[in-house]
Amino acid sequence: MTVIEACQLTKRFGTVTAVDRLSFQVRAGTVTGFLGPNGAGKTTTLRMLLGLVRPDSGRATLWGKPYAYLRARRRAVGAVLEASGFHPGRTVRDHLRVRCAAAGIARSRVDAVVEATGLAGLAGRRAGTLSLGERQRLGLAAALLGDPEVLILDEPGNGLDPAGVTWLRGFLRRLAGEGRAVLVSSHLLAEVAQTAGQVIVIDRGQLTWSGPVSQLTTATGQAVVVRTPRAAELRAALAAGGAAVRELADGRLEITGAGTEQVATLAAAMGLPVFEISEPAASLEDAFLALTATEGRPG
Amino acid sequence: MNAQVRAEFLKLRTTRTAAALVGLAVAVTALIATLESATAGTGRGMAIPSLATTAGLRDALASTGFALITAAVLGTVIATGEFRHKTATAAYLDQPGRSHVLAAKAITAAAAGILLGLAAAATAAGIGLGFAAARGYPIALPAATIARYAAGAILGAGLLAAAGTGAGSLIRHQAGAIIAVFAWGFAVELIVGGIATSVAPYLPYTAAALMAGVASGGGMPPIARGVIPLPFPAGVGVLAGAAIALTAVAAATAARRDIT
Repeated sequence: MTVIEACQLTKRFGTVTAVDRLSFQVRAGTVTGFLGPNGAGKTTTLRMLLGLVRPDSGRATLWGKPYAYLRARRRAVGAVLEASGFHPGRTVRDHLRVRCAAAGIARSRVDAVVEATGLAGLAGRRAGTLSLGERQRLGLAAALLGDPEVLILDEPGNGLDPAGVTWLRGFLRRLAGEGRAVLVSSHLLAEVAQTAGQVIVIDRGQLTWSGPVSQLTTATGQAVVVRTPRAAELRAALAAGGAAVRELADGRLEITGAGTEQVATLAAAMGLPVFEISEPAASLEDAFLALTATEGRPG
Repeated sequence: MNAQVRAEFLKLRTTRTAAALVGLAVAVTALIATLESATAGTGRGMAIPSLATTAGLRDALASTGFALITAAVLGTVIATGEFRHKTATAAYLDQPGRSHVLAAKAITAAAAGILLGLAAAATAAGIGLGFAAARGYPIALPAATIARYAAGAILGAGLLAAAGTGAGSLIRHQAGAIIAVFAWGFAVELIVGGIATSVAPYLPYTAAALMAGVASGGGMPPIARGVIPLPFPAGVGVLAGAAIALTAVAAATAARRDIT
């Protein structure tokens, strides 16, 4: 079910076109990565989805309506767009109480979200004393107050240490597993590749690719690596299907022009044992760079 | 709307800013009232009327000018704090109707300003009347006049605080907005009022200060000389009009602005 839809969204700031006729959809029950290099227009797009920035043309809707027209909108949508969107002198608990009051959400939700985000021991701390990772958790806690069906997060992994990143990945997967739509922006593909099922890639405000992460390398001609004891048979079959196959020094096959799913399906159909099939991280990054043409672009 | 007002009150109660500004207003009012009262009738420097006279007692009771300006600052802080601390995004996600958010801020600021004005008026009255009593003077002003000065300070502070939210929403930058309020109170109105005394009673700070009993040519910040006060209800109307106009302009502007 499509929950979020951008249709021909365009936004200009002076002479700069930040978002250019951008269209995409986000479904419920998935984590969708919203990828692009710095300055690609991700934040502007998310803000247009939430009615904070007015598009010059196009439509941004949730369940077919602009955000402002949603009923009980904070129970429908939770968002984190600012890593430090709180008064530094206010405690964690008071910050969440303020958000509850403003959104008409029962104050009892505060305890539930501080527990869910691992902030229970910090509820009495002033927000200004929190570490960056704790601030990210506080942002998530505020977004979850309404127990929303949609979560929109702008670069939630920024500044997190490895443990924090691992926690965030598990947390987002669990939320999507509960049937929520989770839209997460990032400028790092590797950051969302382990979490997101779908990705939307934009560059200079324009859509460059959208689809399952598993097809990303295929779409950009990036490699899939396979290890099988019957490499010659698989190689022949893949070559017959138009894929380019190269044998690596360790005997594995590096395939371009066919995705993981295609290779695995073909191998299964041929009854070939497969001991390894992967898209090396470097390949995912290469795919991302190819889609955004950022290789060699400064900053 | 009720949810927004509740949230705004909770915001005020859960940080120290509002309490600190009320404390500052009371402290400066106490200092000015004490200096006015202690030097009244001494004849040192410029001739200062005694607390036994209506002018002397009025000057002591009308030591609330700085508190009035502080109330306007409180209003700007309520509005600009959302931008300074990047909480405007969350505020407008909670309530996309920007006019509702600004109206809630104006209502909250007005209530907080009234409390600030009450504290300042009570401080000035306590000190001025205390000094007069200590010196054995009869109270030189009728009770109704004393009550009117206090009501002027209280209502003036409330309405200036509400107007401050409008100014803060338009300026957004907190330090810039605070400087603008002080510049307005200490310079702009004095200059404009000095050039056109007939316009002066319609200027917000001057209207509030006159309601609070500040004599033309006196006060801290001072108001222009030769200004004839408006009747009390007209002064309230001028201030309410300024608060409503500023909030309306701020709401119209906010509706068009992107929250980036």
